[in-house]
Amino acid sequence: MNQQRRDFLRKAGLGALAGIGAAAGMLPLFALEKTDMTVFTDKPVPGKVRWGMLVDTRKCREGCNECVVRCHHDHNVPDFGKSKNEVKWIWKSRYEEAFPTASKQFQSPDVENRNVLTLCNHCAEPPCTRACPTEATFRRWDGIVSMDYHRCIGCRFCMAACPYGSRSFNWQDPRPAVKELSATYPTRERGVVEKCNFCSERLVKGQLPACVESCAGNALTFGDLNDPGSELRKMLAANETMQRKPELGTLPSVFYII
Amino acid sequence: MSNRISTILAFVIAVIMFVAAWFFMQSGDGASAPARAEAPVAAPKEVPIDSTRCVASTEWMKSHHMQLLNQWRHDSVREGNRTYATPDGRHFDKSLNTCLGCHASNPMFCFMCHEYANVKPTCWNCHISPMEATK
Repeated sequence: MNQQRRDFLRKAGLGALAGIGAAAGMLPLFALEKTDMTVFTDKPVPGKVRWGMLVDTRKCREGCNECVVRCHHDHNVPDFGKSKNEVKWIWKSRYEEAFPTASKQFQSPDVENRNVLTLCNHCAEPPCTRACPTEATFRRWDGIVSMDYHRCIGCRFCMAACPYGSRSFNWQDPRPAVKELSATYPTRERGVVEKCNFCSERLVKGQLPACVESCAGNALTFGDLNDPGSELRKMLAANETMQRKPELGTLPSVFYII
Repeated sequence: MSNRISTILAFVIAVIMFVAAWFFMQSGDGASAPARAEAPVAAPKEVPIDSTRCVASTEWMKSHHMQLLNQWRHDSVREGNRTYATPDGRHFDKSLNTCLGCHASNPMFCFMCHEYANVKPTCWNCHISPMEATK
């Protein structure tokens, strides 16, 4: 074997290696069609849907409690009769309690005396889910801040973390305090925190939340905040709206027209 | 001498090529996140329930119903995956109500066996038991 032949082989080998490298560089993996694994599961895509609500306080009638009654009946919310251990999913607050940081100087007396419908805001950045040590409360794929009552240990960290008072604790067995037992939803146990679930049990069936359905004044609009064509987004675009305590950065999904 | 330099150069180029190829493949993985399939969230699917047979054999259900219920709860509540497909291709909604849809016809269904086995699960502290539902 002479010297030239050896040189030629050495260079040819290196050239082949370089060629393979260049080919791999020019034909990267993303040029090939990849199998879309999401086709094979029924799991919803997180963040695709974000349920939200718009409360038109102008249409919300004074003295009407229809949505509260309907929600609390459908979800077997107990009534212990004392405000100390009150359990509530949806309730009416005075304007200054709902919007404590909004300006009230020279506010019109109509607005100041208005009762505002309040419920869990289903925040995009929920502080309660961060406080929960057992992941009993968590933000679902569709933006609903959900509770798994099986896992709640009753530490009430979430209640301390929630800036809206949307969570209630069962200090005693709630079953006897439920007046009319609704068979479509479970009750809770003593020592468990509970809250509004945006009627996720109705959404699966394609129904609107009970409060929205029961509102005679059409004051509640429910829809997908991520869908620009939804009724909710059109209403939000057309009206001036407020969120509760927006300065906390919790990004509530419940909006208000004052 | 020049021969040696060209060999070294060729080698260096080869290494650069390999690194570049590796880099492209890496970035390709990230960039190739495929367009996701339609999510089943907004429009719920109708899950036809075949109630003539249970989701699994009686023997298996006797020993494993608690694991199945735990798994179903995790899937439907946390993952949003609500449809259970049996190996023979039948589909069920992952819900306790699916079980009660058939088994509640006998209000004593759960209680008889739990009484016999002396196990006291806390299901009915919250869920409406068939005994109460028929009341």
